Amino acid sequence: MHLSVRLSGVAALAVLLAPPSSAQHPAVPPTTWAITGARIEPASGPVIEKGTIVIRDGLITAVGADVRAPADARIVDGDGLTVYPGLIDASTSLGMPSRGGGGGRGQAATPQPSGAPNSNYGLGMQAEIRAATELEPAADGFKAAHGAGFTAALTAQGSGIFRGTSAVITLRDAPVPALVVRDGIAQHIGFSRGGGGGFPGSLMGVFAQLRQELLDAQHYRDLKAAYARNPRGMNRPDHDPTLEALQPVLAGTMPVVMAANSEREIIRALDLAKEFGLKPIIAGGREAYKVTDRLRAENVVVLLDIDFPRRTAPTGGRAAANEDPVPERMDVLRDRVELPKSPGRLAGAGVRFAIASGNDYTNFLGNARHAVEAGLDPVRALKAMTIDPATLFGVSDRLGSIEVGKIANLTLVKGGLFDESAKITQLFVDGNRIEIAAAAAPSAGTGETPRRGAPGDDTRTEQANASHDH
Amino acid sequence: MPATITSALRRPTIEEQMKRTTLVAALLVVATAASAQSPARQAPPATLITHATVLTVTKGTLTDTDVLLQNGKIAAIGKNLTAPAGARTIDASGEFLLPGIIDPHSHMMSDATNEGSLSVTSMVRIADVLNPTDDHIYDALAGGTTTLNILHGSANTIGGQNAVVKLKWGRPVSEMLFPGAMPGIKFALGENVTRKNSGRFIVIGQPQPQPRYPTTRMGQEEVLRDAFTRARDYQAEWNDYRAKVAKGDKNLVAPRRDLELEPLVEILEGKRWVHAHSYRADEMLMLLDLADEFGFKVRTLQHALEAYKIAPEIAAHGTGISTFADMWGYKIEAYDAIPYNVAVTMRAGVLSTINSDDDGRARRLNIDAAKLVRYGGLTDDEALATVTINGAKQLGIDAKVGSIEIGKDADVVIWDAHPLSVYSRPVTTFIDGEIFFDRDQDAAMRKSLAEERKTLEAAEPNKLPQSGRGAGRGAAPAETPAEEDHR
Repeated sequence: MHLSVRLSGVAALAVLLAPPSSAQHPAVPPTTWAITGARIEPASGPVIEKGTIVIRDGLITAVGADVRAPADARIVDGDGLTVYPGLIDASTSLGMPSRGGGGGRGQAATPQPSGAPNSNYGLGMQAEIRAATELEPAADGFKAAHGAGFTAALTAQGSGIFRGTSAVITLRDAPVPALVVRDGIAQHIGFSRGGGGGFPGSLMGVFAQLRQELLDAQHYRDLKAAYARNPRGMNRPDHDPTLEALQPVLAGTMPVVMAANSEREIIRALDLAKEFGLKPIIAGGREAYKVTDRLRAENVVVLLDIDFPRRTAPTGGRAAANEDPVPERMDVLRDRVELPKSPGRLAGAGVRFAIASGNDYTNFLGNARHAVEAGLDPVRALKAMTIDPATLFGVSDRLGSIEVGKIANLTLVKGGLFDESAKITQLFVDGNRIEIAAAAAPSAGTGETPRRGAPGDDTRTEQANASHDH
Repeated sequence: MPATITSALRRPTIEEQMKRTTLVAALLVVATAASAQSPARQAPPATLITHATVLTVTKGTLTDTDVLLQNGKIAAIGKNLTAPAGARTIDASGEFLLPGIIDPHSHMMSDATNEGSLSVTSMVRIADVLNPTDDHIYDALAGGTTTLNILHGSANTIGGQNAVVKLKWGRPVSEMLFPGAMPGIKFALGENVTRKNSGRFIVIGQPQPQPRYPTTRMGQEEVLRDAFTRARDYQAEWNDYRAKVAKGDKNLVAPRRDLELEPLVEILEGKRWVHAHSYRADEMLMLLDLADEFGFKVRTLQHALEAYKIAPEIAAHGTGISTFADMWGYKIEAYDAIPYNVAVTMRAGVLSTINSDDDGRARRLNIDAAKLVRYGGLTDDEALATVTINGAKQLGIDAKVGSIEIGKDADVVIWDAHPLSVYSRPVTTFIDGEIFFDRDQDAAMRKSLAEERKTLEAAEPNKLPQSGRGAGRGAAPAETPAEEDHR
């Protein structure tokens, strides 16, 4: 906090002293910006066909058709650009350290490196892990997400059974404490251990572990309550950080985000939530469109990954020997055709959802466009990437729309976001401008020919787009 | 069985084909409606099956007999029955009606089979990991099988809880779980347990696994004794708590629930049945003795290839066996087997069944039953019982399925020849009075799937990128194997 305040002060000074040449990079980034003459889609109100947005010290201070740029502002010429609220990726592990389960196959007796200190539970079962304190973003770790227009994300540990709580963070190069917008959004649950030996080693075991841990948390709650009523003559219950972390989940004050893609995975997750009275959110949701009746009836939100499958060309020897290929499975063929329709179907069925990249940043905008072409209302699509996740995560007073007083997270697009020619030119994250470099050459050697550039490329390119989407 | 051969070889008449076609049209409508997600389903229409040879299994064979399926039950059996209003009538002249086949040992439709990490994994449940869309289900229906006992694998001494299911392919798991089936659990003795994580197998490039206790049959006995001793303590702890609560003690906190020990207490209290994978006579006797010691019954010995050596002892314990007709020699403990295992044990008073333990064999269990006539000299009804009513008894569902009797579930199969003939094929498979497989419906489905495939392959997202090479791909195989299409 101290650091960022001091930086802002220095930055403001620097802006005043710096010569008004935009070609020169100032030593300290400017803190006052005005995007002028741009089309503005605020997500929370009517579109402004030509207007100005003023940013000062990380916040939006003015928006409108009649707004004038302040004298001290750096100007971004918005001609030909559309400004959207900064996109929010609704389900990620951005910035989280990877915790590969140490042991290999069958190493039941090998002790695992413990993640959380003093935990009674093994790796992958530690509900007390907190994204907000575990974050370790690598330098340039958000570059791929930036290229797809993302300025903020929900992030949590990406593997394990109980994965701990998530946080909403802004995506920029800054010390971790400055990134966290809100901590403790939800407890995250997955259905595979993610490496390591010992119990549980199967999906059956995962369910048993989930149940036992939740039952233990109930028992812990009852023991502590009894001890609080009258400690005399009763041994004090051991403090257990894992079971402690599960209390808001059991009480229904914190939702659980459950990773589930297929129809049966989603049903199993919802059943488990029902068994323990949890408030479920489904992450992934590939086949959520098959479960819409229940999702709507139980008012379950889906964090929908839109990393739609695509046909890739056979490579190497297989390509040469492709004269008589094995016919592809029907479900594979169906998924490629049907999945882009799923966001529109969820919307049509009245299921609440937010859009997530599914970690496919290279193709994200193309996938979003496919969803719109396949029936998702573009207004709804934009909301599902901005104000809807912000509302769901309890940060809609800070993020998710272009309004005075909100965090200055903006996504600037040449053309419309869902146009085939859409191109992200720059972002603002906490009022800091991030320029998206021109298209990098598609990287070679990924083994899959038609990727639109490799992960880590700054942007998707129109050229790459064209090679893909006929 | 000359009648069998004749009916198998004759061609269907035009009239019969017409009859089937009308049925198919009705069926396709039903199939489309069933794929909707709404769980509120209409009761299937009543069905009158006429002029069938009815193999009741428990009440002999009835020739030229009608069977009425109504409200999911077998409502009437007799001659010249009248179809109620709105009922469909199927002329089964020359065809055979058999109860749906029950397979007491399967690993079908499960997304996980073994939780092999521990020696006792009674806390895991097959019901948590069922895949109701598994295409093997459809194949099994095409083989006249309607009920499966889906068991945990044999990697550990005490495995997970089983699930008994009706094969209502594509329905939610909740609609497939057999209502009222006795809860069960898998145990395993012998080689599979000692071999798992024994440390004897080294995979290049993998860290050498640590041996997992137990690696001997002695150890397996100890694991069982230890587990049931702990279960007794746990049972006592809860009984003590309940007694105190009953006396009015209000300040007690309930003991911690232990999902590992709860099912073992259920076994001790006779509320959960043990299905124990076992091969050798000595290990089977060990388990029966240990069960006596702790006061529980072993419901079935699974595989039990050496059961014929100790048939009287097994019978005296009220234990059943579920075995293979003629499969052995695939490991050391499976060497000392004979094809008379079922006959010998059955004659000694053991409740004996044939199982598949295999997704392929699950669709031809009728042939395995026929082998018992060949080797053991069983009667047709005795042979058929090993794949129907006997399995129902082993799973606690014999009041509902396993034979053709009024009041039982309408889980029946029309066969085009006597099901103990190698020429026989199921024509129509009913579960709860609803058709889940029909040979003509199948042909129609293959056709529509082939058309769907054509459409899908021509769709934009399925074309090869950089279309040059893939230009000819749109016209992909018109005659796609149907098996591919189910999967």
